[in-house]
This record gives sequence, structure tokens and C-alpha cells, in this order.
Amino acid sequence: MERLAEFFDEELTPMVRRMAYRPQRVTAATADNQAIRAMVWQALVGPDTMPADGTRLAQQELIAVAEQLGAVLCQGPLLDTLVAAELLQASARSALLPRGASVALAVREDGAANPAEPANMVVDRSEEVVDARRSFVGFAADVDHLLLVGRTPAGVRLALTPRDHPTVSLHRHEDLGRGELYRVRFSGTPVTAWLGDGKHWADLLATARIRQAGYLVGMSQAALDLAVTYAKSRRQFGQPIGRFQWVAFRLSALTATIEAARTLTRDAARDADRGVDPRFVAAQCLATAAKVAREVTTYALQVHGASGLREDNDAQLYFRRAAIEALWWGSPTQLRVEATPLLRARLTDADS
Amino acid sequence: MIPELTADEQRFRDQVCGLLCEESVRRRVTECRRQLPEGEEPELLDVYRQLGERGWLAVNWPERYGGRDGTYLQKAIVTEELIRHRVPDLANTLTIDIVGFGVLLAGTEAQKQRVLPRLASGETTAAVLFSEPGTGSDLSALQTRAEPDGDGWRLYGRKSYCMKSHISDIGLCAARTTASDVKYHGITLFLVPLQSLSVTVEPTWNLLNERFGEVTLDGVRLTADDVLGSVDDGWNTLNQVLSLERITIDFVAKARLLFDRLAGHAAKTGRLEEPEYAQRILELEARVRAAELLTWRCVRDFDNGTPDDVRSAIAKYYSTELLKELGSEAMEVVGLDAVLHGRDEQAVQEGLFESLYREGPGWTLGSGTSEIMLYLIAGSGLELL
Repeated sequence: MERLAEFFDEELTPMVRRMAYRPQRVTAATADNQAIRAMVWQALVGPDTMPADGTRLAQQELIAVAEQLGAVLCQGPLLDTLVAAELLQASARSALLPRGASVALAVREDGAANPAEPANMVVDRSEEVVDARRSFVGFAADVDHLLLVGRTPAGVRLALTPRDHPTVSLHRHEDLGRGELYRVRFSGTPVTAWLGDGKHWADLLATARIRQAGYLVGMSQAALDLAVTYAKSRRQFGQPIGRFQWVAFRLSALTATIEAARTLTRDAARDADRGVDPRFVAAQCLATAAKVAREVTTYALQVHGASGLREDNDAQLYFRRAAIEALWWGSPTQLRVEATPLLRARLTDADS
Repeated sequence: MIPELTADEQRFRDQVCGLLCEESVRRRVTECRRQLPEGEEPELLDVYRQLGERGWLAVNWPERYGGRDGTYLQKAIVTEELIRHRVPDLANTLTIDIVGFGVLLAGTEAQKQRVLPRLASGETTAAVLFSEPGTGSDLSALQTRAEPDGDGWRLYGRKSYCMKSHISDIGLCAARTTASDVKYHGITLFLVPLQSLSVTVEPTWNLLNERFGEVTLDGVRLTADDVLGSVDDGWNTLNQVLSLERITIDFVAKARLLFDRLAGHAAKTGRLEEPEYAQRILELEARVRAAELLTWRCVRDFDNGTPDDVRSAIAKYYSTELLKELGSEAMEVVGLDAVLHGRDEQAVQEGLFESLYREGPGWTLGSGTSEIMLYLIAGSGLELL
């Protein structure tokens, strides 16, 4: 983890924040993003995230990585690739994904859907090809494989497919984050391997949610840090605005909420590492972290005033990304709906 | 919507609505939402000229200045209808409600005749040149200076976040004419010709739908004819202008638009049948209606000649904080589809939710920050400070 912290130094961080930020008007800050993305990807798929011997990393280590990624707004296929790696490790088929190979998850048909309930896919009778439509597939244009999660008459199934194939068509979304989100059409796409079912997906989603919560905690902390730094330097009415209690106390209160989300997230990772069913704590920590990220990134802009809205100010990047990342593996409302029967079960267990 | 309009007021609303529903207007407005390439913003739309021809753009101004001798309530109806029909409205607010209002309030007869009919016609726009790189909420600390030059002044300084300045002919600029220990003294308001060679406007991109203008004033020559109000005594005029700016009909109309589209979407998709969504939508409904009532109460106060700064601050604070929260709630109810821009074919409501989410942070900053509103309520309202 220290290696990553050193890698994302003060010089690289501003470039990383914008490496997958694509306004149509290409600016100096975005012109060389492909090169930076490639360099960062090479650095990320090292022993911190994918040990060469194929050993499974602890969730506690992975959320530390996710926090660092969130802090620098690093986007890319790493978090999706980790989901695929986890799945392949569980089925002892890691050879399908050599180090450096990347995967994007294709789960939803539209943005309203809860990823816990994947959209339909059609499997050919031969079981060799699939048809499906998916939206909000991150970095689909960059990756080597797609992991298509879909509902079939036989239940939820997970298919690994090639990305660079004539039966796979991509269309980039125009979105708030100006990022790399794609609509993907699978039209008779060959299946490289069938990798799992609904149970696998529920387990994978739980740990993916904990990592996503870590990412959001990292984002929140970095946005808060930007606001605190600005509040110390920006002077109005004869003093730094951070000396005004309404600013200082609000930033302090947000510090407490970030810490709370961080501890919940780390506790959830510990549960997952201990082999405790993490679905409930995963939903709860992600819902909490998502709300904190929205609140912090919004207030960071309030502290910055109009300067934070400028295109060249990174505070607005955190605000843009928080809207998307907070919904990525289910909105807080969806997560809490999902968590309700799990809470009921926990209460029943406690009674008995 | 305003409660209990008179028959005349309702007729006026219907007339404005009729114009804004015309095919040519709808087509242009849709283009602005869906086809305007990223990096472009709506310029001065024809519909402004059409409103101007009828005397509706500044309906509350005297006829001799291009208005219809109407009430401020009628002007608020125009603003609300523009927003309800999704016509880009920023130029209208800046030109008519802020700069035009300032001229109407403090201008000489000659200035009114020179400036107001042009603004009311919809042929040109005006921009506000108050903020500076180091001066936002603490406006009295402004650094732009007017140096004596014969029978006039030359203006030097930089102004920031001046929206629409790149297309405007006139800027209402606050500058220091006299150094003073009393910081509210020595500030003068000028009407600055923005097309002057001594003025440079650099539009800068931002999170919002329309650009900021960074304005450099490099010795632009001004005379007594360009002074709005009294020399050195601009602070009072400026505060009166800011008071009206805080009756934010535009913000509350956007809250209504956003809520109606969100509730409609929830009803159509079945979200409204789910208790966890219905609860929050119902809470938002009450808050949006309260924001409307608070704001329209200020409109009536203004028309009755009894504007109340604390009531305005309450309305502005409540409405803009709500509006910002609505943007976030829309994400929660609609899901990821709400992050899609109007240009994306999968966007819902032609990208309204994405657009207003981005605009949200500006609402609690512009026209006086939320913190300044709370300061006014705490100080003048509760006498705590």
C-alpha cells in the first residue's frame, strides 16, 4: 500500500484525477490521458492488487487500495477486474486472466436497475453465444474481456466474453462525469467461459460493494482535504474563511462522518475476511459512504465558492464523480431495501 | 405556481405561455438542450426579442422604457414561464432583474432612456461586474479602482464570474473611487461599455451550463454619464439591487420544474408505489410548495412597497438549499440514468436531472451565499449578531 501512496505523488495526482475525464474540448490537462492511463494501469496491476502467485488478497488490504484510488479519483477497470479475479480464484481458473488483463462488468440494462438483480440475457441453445444489452459499463473500450452478468431461465449466470469482437458494439455515454461509461450490445457474442451463478454474483457483489465504499471514503477525504486547504488560504472579511465557526464546524462535522464511514467500511472488510456473510454490512457501509460522499463533495464546492465551479478546479471533479460512484453498486435506497430482510434475519438469529 | 392570481394576472400568464409554446420557440429550446455541442452555451435567443416586442420582457417597467407599466408579480410570471418552458433564463435575470433594475432605481432620466429600452427589447444583454478574484461575499473589499481622468475616470481592475459578459453591451460595475477607512464609503457604480477596446472578456468554462467571464478593465474611460447613483455612495444602491436579486423566483421555479418532472417520472416508473421513495417525494412536495409560498410572499412585499430583507433571505436560503438537495434526490430516485446529459439518447427528461444537478452548487453561492443569508437572518432577524 505504501508503494501506491508513493506512486500517487503530488505531481502525478492532478493528472490522475483527469486521466479519464473527457470533455469534448480537449485541453492540455486531458490531451495525454491515454498515456497516463496506461502507465497507471501498469502500476496498479502489481502485487498490491494481484499477487503473482495467485493468492487471494484480504478485503482489508483491497479497501486500502480502493481508498487510495478514490482519493486521487483514479478511474479504470481495476475494481471490475478485481471482481473477475475473485470469481476466477474461487473456481481455480485464474489462468483465464493473466496479470495485466482487464475486465469490465456488464450488469445493468438501464440505470434504474439494482445491480443485485441483473438484466436478462439470452443464451443460445448451444450455450456458446449470448445476446444482451447493457448500459453503464465502465471502460468498455479499454478492457480485454467483458464479464456479462445476466438473468436466464436457469437463473443468474456469469459469462466471460471477449471485448474486441465484431459481435460486441460500444457506444459511449454522455454523462455528468464525462468519463468512460459505455452502452454495450452483445449480438451472438461467443462465451469464453461460464463462470458462475446467482450465488456467486451475490457474494461478489458484497465484496465489490465494500471496495466501492472504500473508494467513496477515499474520495470524500480528498474532497474534504481540498476544502480545508482552501478554507485556510481564502480570506474574506479580514481572515481566512476557515476561521469562521460555521465553516470550521461544518468541516469538522464532516470529518466525523467520513471517519464513521471509514470505520464501518473497514469493519465490513474484516467480516468478509473472517468468513462472516458480508452482505448486510456491505450494503450498510456502502449506503453510508455514498451519502457521505455526496454531502462532502457538495459542501467542498460551497467552501470553494465560485472558484470551485471552474473547469480547472478539481473540487468540481469530485462533485461530478460522487454522483455516479454513489449509485454504482446500487443507490443507498436500494441498498437499504436489500438490507432490510438481512437485518430481520440478524434480529431473529439474535433472539434465538 | 403562484396561488390566487387575479383574472388579469392569469390572462397574462396564458399569453406568455402561448408565445413560449409556439413551434419555433419550442424547436430552438429543444436544440439548446439536446443538440448544443459541449462547449457552447445558449446565446441571446430570438424568444427574448419576441417577448421584448410585446413589452413583456420587462413588463414591470414603464412603457416609455420598453415595459408595460406592469407589476413585479407580472415580471415574476414571465420568469417562471421561461423556466417552466425550459428557456435558458440567465440572460433575462441578469439583464432585467439586476442591471435593469439598478438603472431604474438609481439612474438619471438620460441613463434610463439610453439603457432601458435596449435591455427591454431583448436585443442586448447586460452583465454584473461585482465579484473579483479576491472578493466574493466581502464585496466592500473590492480592488477595482476608478482613477480621476479629466472630467471622468479610467477604470482598472479584474472582475470574475461575470456571466454573459462576453455577449453583453453593458456591465454594471462596482469600483472604488475613494480610499476610505469606512470600507462601505468610496464605492461607485458604473455602467461600463463592455465592447470598449479597454475591456477584455475571457469566458471560462465551469460546472454550470453557462460560462463565467473574467473581465479585465484596462483603463476604460468613463464620464459622469456612466455613474449610476452618486459618486462614492454606490454601496446603498448596490444593496438595494442585491435585495431584489434575493427574491429568487428563478430558483424556486426551477425547484418546481425539477420536482414535477421527478414526481412524474416516479409515477410513470412505479417508484411512487414504493414507500421508501414515496415518503421522500412527499416530503419534497411540501418543501417545494413552501419555497414557492415564501418566495411569492416576497414578490407581493416588493409590489406593495414593503420589501423585507429577512423574509427575502429566508426565501432565498430555503429555496436554494432545497433546490440543491432536489438534484441529489433525483439521482436517488431515477438512478444512474439521471447522470446522462441531454445529448445521450438514453437520457431521461432530456437530461434535466443531470443539468440541474450540475447547476445546484451555484445556487447556494450566487445572489448571496447561504452563509450570508443565515448571517442576515441571525443578525437582522434574530438580533443575535
